[in-house]
Amino acid sequence: MTGSRLPISSALMTPPLLSILAFGLAPLTIVVVWSFWSWDPSTYWIKPDLSLAGYAGILEAGRWTVIVSTLVKAFATALLCLLIAYPTAYAVHFLAGRRLSIILLALITIPFFTSYLIRSFSWRLVLGRTGVLNSWLQDIGIINAPLDWLLFSNFAVVVGLVASYLPFATFPLLLSMRRVDPTFLAAAQDLGAGFWKSLTSILLPLTMSGIFAGFLFVFVMVVGSSTEVQMLGGAGASIVSVMINDVMRVANYPLAFAISTIVLIVIFGLVLIGNRMFGLASLFEDQSP
Amino acid sequence: MIVTKQSRPFSPRAHSNMQRRDFLKLMGAGGIALSAGGLGFASRLAAQDAATIAFWATATLDIGDKWPEFAKQSGVTPEFTDNGNDLGPVIARLAAGNANDLFDIGGFQGGAEKELARQGVIIPWDTAKIPNYESLWQWAKDIPYLKNDGKQYGIPAVVNADSIIYRPDKLGKIDSYGAIFDPKLKGRVAMEDAWINSAIFTAMYLKESENQPIADPGNLSESELGLVMEFLIKHKSDGQFRTFWNGWEQGVQLVADQEVDAMTGWEPIVYEGRKRGLQVEYAAPVEGYEGWGNNMVLLKGAGDRGVSDTAHKFVDGLLGGFYGCELGQARGYLVPTDNNVVYAKAHPDEYKPEEVEKLAEHVKAKFAGKIYWQNARPDNFQLYEEWWQKLRNA
Repeated sequence: MTGSRLPISSALMTPPLLSILAFGLAPLTIVVVWSFWSWDPSTYWIKPDLSLAGYAGILEAGRWTVIVSTLVKAFATALLCLLIAYPTAYAVHFLAGRRLSIILLALITIPFFTSYLIRSFSWRLVLGRTGVLNSWLQDIGIINAPLDWLLFSNFAVVVGLVASYLPFATFPLLLSMRRVDPTFLAAAQDLGAGFWKSLTSILLPLTMSGIFAGFLFVFVMVVGSSTEVQMLGGAGASIVSVMINDVMRVANYPLAFAISTIVLIVIFGLVLIGNRMFGLASLFEDQSP
Repeated sequence: MIVTKQSRPFSPRAHSNMQRRDFLKLMGAGGIALSAGGLGFASRLAAQDAATIAFWATATLDIGDKWPEFAKQSGVTPEFTDNGNDLGPVIARLAAGNANDLFDIGGFQGGAEKELARQGVIIPWDTAKIPNYESLWQWAKDIPYLKNDGKQYGIPAVVNADSIIYRPDKLGKIDSYGAIFDPKLKGRVAMEDAWINSAIFTAMYLKESENQPIADPGNLSESELGLVMEFLIKHKSDGQFRTFWNGWEQGVQLVADQEVDAMTGWEPIVYEGRKRGLQVEYAAPVEGYEGWGNNMVLLKGAGDRGVSDTAHKFVDGLLGGFYGCELGQARGYLVPTDNNVVYAKAHPDEYKPEEVEKLAEHVKAKFAGKIYWQNARPDNFQLYEEWWQKLRNA
């Protein structure tokens, strides 16, 4: 029986495996290999001569600070998204009725209906000097003059990022909450556990994989984002993808690939550590006994 | 007969020279297919006998559904492909990629001609084969970058000059880039998020109003660049700039929503601001304007494929009047020749001669004063990028 299944399962696995190799692993391998090649500015091309110039370039012009600040932004945004997404997912799954939960899910997905560009641009109209928020604050007398720091600031960038990527934290949390056996929570209540006790002793530990998956999705999306920073950030605000774009503009490929390689290492490291600590893979395991 | 694009990749020449450029060709196979689609691959198959030319230019040079009329008048049908207007990837694709296999004529921001000629990826024009070349205004013919080693590598198709957009109701009359760096306007000014513009504007100000030792604001030496960028970094650190802007929509929004009172930028933003009921003016700075040109270059591939004469005919058509009228009407851009006015007067039912003339006189007036030419490829372009990173991180 097992013997006859093996060729079929192998045949079924081959196309996705080849796709992953061709569209995932191969480009990443090229990026890593080319990051160690040397670049000839006179021909705008790279040569297969081993060189660490790309990596040395990261230490120049403050580029490493952009990598660090990008990771900090990604970390902060992912945390904020989780703080908002967790109660949202809880409400959708445990509190709302069937119809309301469908409406709430639809509302969560609305940001996907527009492009990142339009979404970010709309925040300009909300946070600007003559924007909705400043006008309202002035109308109700809380401020006399517009708050300049609402727009073109790190605050505005984080608002834009959270608004853009919140659904990426919400859906893995919903998925993990659906895997929680409701009898555990009922049993805890029967034994006298209050809301916070049930949350910290049962729900949070059982949804750890969803928490980490949500964190990871948002983190990775923010590291690869640029629109929100360019539209909402202050003068010359940067993030890794903006920096890579600047470097590509002068065709310095090894430097661009070296920056990408560093980011790849950080993200892969995060995935491995997270998987070991929180069992990310368990989120997708079969629930049936 | 015109050699059609689809036959080119299989030409003997395409099979030779299989070195570094083939990396990009191989990696960009999908891109080639997409480009072929964008170039009207199917339509080319159907029109092999037509004199077609593959025109790879800035999107704003595209006149869309007016090309058939252009083709009727000039005898050449362009197949337009947007080059993204970012010269880094454009030059890389010419020097190490497949652009010369796909395209015949480039329409690029001025400044890269010398570099492209040095790389051997463009070939000189023969102006004797472009009768309308003589109609170009002299100052347009004299744009630096067009010639290299006495040979004509660039033909200016579009020119204009940029300065400061400002609110006279808030600032009074502005006639100097000093306003952009004035501490009294801290947090109420902006510049473009690109060294190609912001470095030259700053250099012009420092040279003309601060008497700093800068020879050519469009092509700064290492020390001049350091001077200019340190100045910008200081002002950025002091909170002088509200933001650095990118693209038309952002530029318009900054003015229309009163985020800034003055910013360096494009004149059409002034017109858009006025449409929205704001008092907006375009300054005539004492330091001069930043002139820019979008120049036609003849790609080496066109010569190899024997379509050079068709390419000359096409450029002659661009300067013939119809294209200038259309581009002026659609975008307010100017082809620097009197042929536009001549054409408009001959076709008053299509274009208003007085408006065509007004645009010409307006741009001519800008160029009557001091001009420093934007340079898309200064000698130290790598250093420009380094300094721009430092500015971002300051």
